[in-house]
Amino acid sequence: MRIYHVALKEVSKRKIRTIYTAIGIAIAVSMLISVIITASSGEVEIFRVIARYGHSLTIMPAETKSQQSLKTFGIGTGSYIPEDAMPNIEKTYQKAIVAGWEKMGQLTFQEGTIGGAAFPPPTFAPRLYEEATVKGSDVIVGGVMLEKELISRFWWEISEGKFMANDDEVILGKLFAVITETKVGDILEIGQSKMKVSGILNETDSPDDYMVFMSLKTCQKIFGKHNKISMINVRAMCPKCPLGDAAIAINKEILGVRATSQSEIATAQSQIFQKTAALLLSFVVASLIISAIGVFNIILGSIHSRLRDIGLLKAMGASRSQLIRLFLYEAALIGITGGIIGFAIGTGLSYVIGPILFKDIVIRVNPLFFLMAIILGTLTTIAASIYPAIYASKIKVAEAFKSL
Amino acid sequence: MDSMLVIKDIWKIYDIGGEKLEALRSVNLEIEKGSFISIVGHSGSGKTTLLSVIGGLTEPTRGNVSIEGTDVWSLNDAGLSALRNEKIGFIFQFASLIPTLRVVDNVALPVIFHKDNHGDVYGRAEKILSALGLSKKLNSFPSELSGGQQRRVAIARAFINKPAIILADEPTGDLDAQSESEVMDFFSEINEKEQTTFLLVTHNMDLAGMTDRIYHMRDGALLD
Repeated sequence: MRIYHVALKEVSKRKIRTIYTAIGIAIAVSMLISVIITASSGEVEIFRVIARYGHSLTIMPAETKSQQSLKTFGIGTGSYIPEDAMPNIEKTYQKAIVAGWEKMGQLTFQEGTIGGAAFPPPTFAPRLYEEATVKGSDVIVGGVMLEKELISRFWWEISEGKFMANDDEVILGKLFAVITETKVGDILEIGQSKMKVSGILNETDSPDDYMVFMSLKTCQKIFGKHNKISMINVRAMCPKCPLGDAAIAINKEILGVRATSQSEIATAQSQIFQKTAALLLSFVVASLIISAIGVFNIILGSIHSRLRDIGLLKAMGASRSQLIRLFLYEAALIGITGGIIGFAIGTGLSYVIGPILFKDIVIRVNPLFFLMAIILGTLTTIAASIYPAIYASKIKVAEAFKSL
Repeated sequence: MDSMLVIKDIWKIYDIGGEKLEALRSVNLEIEKGSFISIVGHSGSGKTTLLSVIGGLTEPTRGNVSIEGTDVWSLNDAGLSALRNEKIGFIFQFASLIPTLRVVDNVALPVIFHKDNHGDVYGRAEKILSALGLSKKLNSFPSELSGGQQRRVAIARAFINKPAIILADEPTGDLDAQSESEVMDFFSEINEKEQTTFLLVTHNMDLAGMTDRIYHMRDGALLD
């Protein structure tokens, strides 16, 4: 028999006290675990959203100030990027992103993998803008690669009809369709070509609402702009991507273009989420401290009710350090019990809370969280038991035995 | 013969609300190894206090106690713990078992505090319990035992570390006449075989009569 056997028997025989004490710890641990699991799972979800929608780069032709002043909302005509420059731009971008990751020293870059989570490759969506007069109204015609555009403009939705499937089809912005009273199936004359309206977009509250979209190839052909594009929108598709580095590299290495990063909002969103999670954690830590105070009171009360036992152990020859060990072993066992219960409850809670806070969240329970729950429960009870254990070890036998 | 216990001019004075209470008054005693003696006296005569001072549980106001040449009250806390564990076997006048441990664990308990925590502890515990008629109660918990059985378990525990001296306070208080006789026979056997010194305090003159020598205590003073 060893001292920890005595502690184990004490804890297992005094079930009500053990469970009562462990529940105090379990509640705090469960809150912590549920916050950690929900936050970590939610962060992955947020990263995915930010990866898809948040981080973007706009690449436009480098222009003089007078050229820029002619444009509204960043769109316009008159200056172009050669379409065959796109592979070079993509190559420069990728190289800069890899270098950026390596410079941060955080992650080993692998194709399609950021920090162990799989993310799709970046999307380069080119557009060609041309001015035209359609049904008597001046309008900007946008040539797009639909497949890439739907990733870049993820908010696009068709309100009537469908997206264009053929080179002789167009889709219209809602505002343009309403003003010109155009319907799905109508034929529009654009340049020298007749184009069929295949669909009308939902309102987007952007310049897209007063535009006509067709395939890039058709647009280049109608307006005689072979191999020319007006801009490229790059969706980074990964969180925390060093887009600034990529923009600098493109501006430096590709002549005639200007790349601008739009990652600040996404970064700010991510930081707000992390700060909110940190705030929640601080509340949980506070509850852990309150639990520790509860454990402290229970252990101290338990010592008072076991004065005679403590005196007996001292009379049998238990030294102060042995008594302290005995009480700390008991505390550790209660902490382990509380940690296990807390982990189970916390994991269950995260399955309830997670989907409420984050749509489409996938709860990920890292085995390390189990270890964390046990360590936390154990350390909390041990910390709360140190003073009571020292107090117990100082009790004089004669004081413990009123009968002696 | 060697001295097991030497008590020199022991005083124990309690300060109760400013009033001095002399629980022990200049007690002197020398006991040789292997002695089997008793101290008798009325309640409040100071018997239990004397036992407590000898056993390193209550510090005397002044005076010296030495066990096998070791000055008890010059030891630090760790030294006192070791002395109590290795050289002294206590039998208290109240039921003194740990309620969460089985009978056999209660008896083996002092061994875990021993620096040499090895050997067949449970075999030794079973042997002592059997000698005291508790072989069928090894796995019982204290709450499942009668007062007399609990007392015998506490007696068994005092012998587990093979102490040099047994300090027993009304050791047969809860026992019937037959059990009392059996326990005293057990004490005598250990005393003879292992030369263990016994110091019993009691107000039971019949019990004291079974020891080799009887001392009397009155008002904190030890009388021959």
